[in-house]
Amino acid sequence: MDRMIIDGMTFTLPLFIMAIGGIYCERSGVVNLALEGFQGVGAFCGALTAVLALNNFEVGSLMPFYLATVAAIVGGGLFSLFHAVMCLKFKAKQSVSGVVINILAMSLTAFLTKLINKNVFDKSSDRFMLEVLPKTNVPVLSDLPVIGAFFQDLYPFQYIIIVIAVISWFVLEKTKFGMDLRACGNNPQAVDAAGMNVNFLRTVAVIVSGSLSGLAGLSFAYSISANFSSSIYVGYGYLSIAGLIFGNWKISYTFLACLVFGFARSGGYELVKILEMPSVYSDLVMTLPYVLTLILLVFFSKFNNPPVALGEVYDKGKR
Amino acid sequence: MGDEKRQRFSIPIFAVLCSLLLGAVIIAMLDVNPLDAYKSLLQGSGFLPKEKYAGGKSMLTDLTSFMNAWTPMLFAALAVSVALRAGLFNIGVSGQMLVGGYIATLLVGYSDLSAFLAKPLVLFVSFVAGGLIGGLIGLLKYQFRINEVVSSIMLNYIAQYVISFYINLKYVDVVSRQSRVISPASRLTLVSTPVGDLSMDIPLGVVLALLVAFLLQFIFQKTVFGYELKSVGTSTTASQYTGIKVGKTMVFSMILSGGLAGLAGATNYLGYYNSIPPGVLPSIGFDSVAVSLLASGNPIGVIFSSMLVTILSKGTVYLTSSTGLVPEISSMITGIVLIFSACGLYFQHLIKKMSDSLSDVKRGSE
Repeated sequence: MDRMIIDGMTFTLPLFIMAIGGIYCERSGVVNLALEGFQGVGAFCGALTAVLALNNFEVGSLMPFYLATVAAIVGGGLFSLFHAVMCLKFKAKQSVSGVVINILAMSLTAFLTKLINKNVFDKSSDRFMLEVLPKTNVPVLSDLPVIGAFFQDLYPFQYIIIVIAVISWFVLEKTKFGMDLRACGNNPQAVDAAGMNVNFLRTVAVIVSGSLSGLAGLSFAYSISANFSSSIYVGYGYLSIAGLIFGNWKISYTFLACLVFGFARSGGYELVKILEMPSVYSDLVMTLPYVLTLILLVFFSKFNNPPVALGEVYDKGKR
Repeated sequence: MGDEKRQRFSIPIFAVLCSLLLGAVIIAMLDVNPLDAYKSLLQGSGFLPKEKYAGGKSMLTDLTSFMNAWTPMLFAALAVSVALRAGLFNIGVSGQMLVGGYIATLLVGYSDLSAFLAKPLVLFVSFVAGGLIGGLIGLLKYQFRINEVVSSIMLNYIAQYVISFYINLKYVDVVSRQSRVISPASRLTLVSTPVGDLSMDIPLGVVLALLVAFLLQFIFQKTVFGYELKSVGTSTTASQYTGIKVGKTMVFSMILSGGLAGLAGATNYLGYYNSIPPGVLPSIGFDSVAVSLLASGNPIGVIFSSMLVTILSKGTVYLTSSTGLVPEISSMITGIVLIFSACGLYFQHLIKKMSDSLSDVKRGSE
């Protein structure tokens, strides 16, 4: 039980922060299928930084991790400019841009990883190895019965994600900037009439999604595989898109959706282990998030309301 | 760049040239002559002769094995084109390929039917299986207003995990960790067939794929159904008003699209390969979206754009052995080509703006 909660949260939080990025982007009116690529590039930038920094600090120092986190956030944000430029300046179809960016991200990071390993570290490898992060317990809270597991064995990135998630929720729902951004996705003409720049606000939203995805990607790289390789592209980005649709483009509901996805995953693994079934059964568990989302959409698509202007290029002349 | 009709050709060609140029710069930075690199890609795909060949190999065998790899990509890109014509974005080609390939493997690949029966049956089964998944996406779109992009993504992963489960449970080959190999009779590629003193891989599917491309072009241009597709793709409300059954057209186009994706799966898993690796979505399915777009969905154009992308991937082995570049370079160039192709609309817009301002200048001087 404890194991399930701990593993579930380790997976849920990165998924959630990536979905928040997606919510920012989509509620500003830009379709974002590129989360998968953003998280990969973020993880790449972070892992590279960690590998470079590792030799300059004593063993066990968290400094390489912090530097890697910053690099992942910055790297993901910069890479997402591609999506912003393609969608807003070049007026490419937004879903297409997302798919193409995922393809580019995958090939770009694989290429650079190979190249850097060959030329800088003088070895032939397609991955960057990361150190194992220390896990900590929250004092007092972790001793509580049942819910104590939520506060045990936390990776450092989980604290960072929680803080950023709360800030992101506040900014999107409670500030003027957040309101302007949401307005871009519902009625861009009104935003323009109020004297604000629609494309600027949308660019900011895309960059936010890139940065948060970058953070998520690095977290996956640290927690699931302890290295960076192309195995990072197994669909976490698409899963978080499922999460934000499940959550009806609202941060609070999306958290619940990600929680369900995370626990379905960890619970499924535990169940397979407890019932001593062959490990192949965990594949069936992995379909759960997607099946759930599809069923939900079939029955509740009436209540599902994506941003009105989602996917539309803002055209000043249109009324 | 000519009027709008000629731009259909000039813009993609311009986009490809731009990206090849950018690729050349990257290759040059790695201290390799870009011309040599591009030449070796063509040599590896059998379009130019290599300096020497191993026994039983020649330029012709390279070309047929290139076609072997090209067939699934062509089918997949045609699948995307059909949906695109009706204004639908089929990102689920990967999943449909997997389902088509898997069902055909199960029903025909593991049977002991003779080649004359097995090969057509593989095509039929994979077409139906892929078509059912495609049709489901179309139905969800029309009946429940679920965005086809969303439902295809969900179905992609459901297909991936469920099929991975069954392969690992029942059909796994313990050595290769993939599904057991299919019977040679059901394989759509005649592998290592002796022709004269050559040993050739003959892909049978490529003929069908090319036929389908021309057939689609005919359907799009000359038939009522083709017109209805285009009409629905342009405006659903206007189509409804003129009496076109929008729902039926959408579902039918998705069945056709999914069916073609199924054929792509068959020629991939029961042609180019002879087994299915569990837990992996074929990357062809995603590449094909951009390949189709590069040709703006035109079936004849798709023949060329899919050829280009396959040259980049198929020629890689010879590229790395002859120049010492890392193999990832060619998928990187593919990525750049696809990025440029997605911006095609902007080029068009830019040209229009430039010619508009030019004609303004002309008018001003009169």
